[in-house]
Amino acid sequence: MSHDTHDAVQTDTTPSTPGRHARRLTLLTVVATFGGLLFGYDTGVINGALPYMTDDLGLTPATEGVVTSSLLLGAALGAFLGGRVSDRRGRRTMILWLAVLFAVGTLICTFAPGVGVMVLGRVVLGLAVGGASVTVIAYLSEVSPAERRGRLVTQNELMIVSGQLLAFVCNAVIGGIWGEAGGVWRWMLVIATLPAVALWVGMLAMPESPRWLASRGRFGEALAVLQQVRDAKRAEAELAEVRALAEEDKAAQTAGWRDLAVPWIRRIVVVGLAIAVMQQITGVNSIMYYGTQILTRSGFDRDGALIANIANGVISVLATFVGIWLLGRVRRRPMLIVGQIGTFCALLLVGVFSLVLPEGVGRASVVLALTVTFLAFQQGAISPVTWLMLSEIFPLKLRGLGMGVCGLMLWIVNFLVGLLFPILVAAIGISATFFLFAGLGVCAMLVAKAIVPETKGRTLEQLEREFKHASGPAAETAEVTR
Amino acid sequence: MTVMVAVPDSPEGRTALSAAIDETRLRDTDLVVLNLALDPLDVVGMPSDLPITVRERTGHADLADCVLAALDEYAGKVDLLVIGMKKRTPIGKALLGSLSQRLLLEADVPVLAVKR
Repeated sequence: MSHDTHDAVQTDTTPSTPGRHARRLTLLTVVATFGGLLFGYDTGVINGALPYMTDDLGLTPATEGVVTSSLLLGAALGAFLGGRVSDRRGRRTMILWLAVLFAVGTLICTFAPGVGVMVLGRVVLGLAVGGASVTVIAYLSEVSPAERRGRLVTQNELMIVSGQLLAFVCNAVIGGIWGEAGGVWRWMLVIATLPAVALWVGMLAMPESPRWLASRGRFGEALAVLQQVRDAKRAEAELAEVRALAEEDKAAQTAGWRDLAVPWIRRIVVVGLAIAVMQQITGVNSIMYYGTQILTRSGFDRDGALIANIANGVISVLATFVGIWLLGRVRRRPMLIVGQIGTFCALLLVGVFSLVLPEGVGRASVVLALTVTFLAFQQGAISPVTWLMLSEIFPLKLRGLGMGVCGLMLWIVNFLVGLLFPILVAAIGISATFFLFAGLGVCAMLVAKAIVPETKGRTLEQLEREFKHASGPAAETAEVTR
Repeated sequence: MTVMVAVPDSPEGRTALSAAIDETRLRDTDLVVLNLALDPLDVVGMPSDLPITVRERTGHADLADCVLAALDEYAGKVDLLVIGMKKRTPIGKALLGSLSQRLLLEADVPVLAVKR
């Protein structure tokens, strides 16, 4: 979806001057990123709600995994379908429906009498989360001026981790005050209806994406929207750009399954898939979903663990800032590999200390320090590189298929981690589980070293040439016959 | 009357292209090259004395649809479609179907199918 470094279309438009239009654009950005915030809240809230839910609904490790990960299965489906629906019906309409879906899913979960209804609600929430993950980014990058577009992917990521932090804080406050009352987890969940309502009301006042309107041939309406968010002179100038970008979007949907028969295309998609798997296989989401339980098992009491877990949320937000800053300054490959070394060491040490220290506040504090370190490397290095690289490696005509397949892969691995983590902890213990993640981290490091290309400061054409040259005999005959 | 050639990103594509160039010369006509690859066609080494039009593929995920749409567009002008063929494994055919088979059956102009 992002066009940061490889924008084929250049315009001579001057940057927006501050004023009415800029304020309108800021308001629009804030409203739309409520989608990202909801994404974060709904994935993060389970972290603190789960310990209470386990008692109330009588969850086993297996059903804990199912309740947590059913959201991710829904999200995989939502991300897959979301793109098509928003291409057909429009971004604004889609976001309005997503807000409704967020609210409905939240209410189903809140009033769930048992595991079955809970899983249904989580799948509905997942559809909304997955749909938001593609539509909000598309909407924002289509209404923003070119100079702001590059930062949007990472800004949305920032909203997601902020949503998770918000969920951790709400969990700690609600758990701290009403922890002894029954069904306290229902209150933790129901708060997510507030941003959903805000998103819906806010989006009612927001315009449709001009690029989507242009892709439907509705140029008059597209210009009217541009006049709301740009000054008059620039709006006229940008209509041509928007038309060209709408054409480019169509071109991005060119590749189909048959193109995977071409070796160099297949090679790029495999690298994309590897990047997606490597981001999730560190087990980052086991901490984002089960952080409170990890800390309780290590020796904190329930209230203490809820409060300590906020540190995980805070570090995620801070590290995401640092990561965005780093992306502009260091090369992607070293950043990724340093991130992998950091997360590997932290995972290994969690395993070691869980083995040698007796359960208690001391061990819990050490584990907390290590999960914070882990998240600093994950959210400050691995995740930002992942988002950016996935938007950089695909040639234009492969972008739709490539991003779609990699997005699906991200959700599937995320789902497996969410499902299997509680089951693994129950079966082989917490330290062995972390050793397993550390081992997978070593594999990921080796794969990254072997196949991930450097994308910073290189054009798509240079990258394409590299992928073609790695192809051996087939490529050589190609050179000869052409 | 024009010759059209479908050039996928494969050795057969290149075979079809050179056969189409020969055929165009023989018929003393012009050639429309339909580039089915995701990257632009490498025009180095193509004869400069022939009237050649290169069309890139955009927005068509299905290669056969793309070729058939182009044939429709040139209806009445194109009188020969050149394609390349290769042996396919049963699994490959089951997964992706056969591009040449669809074109042979569905194109409404004569098709010249060349083997490597």
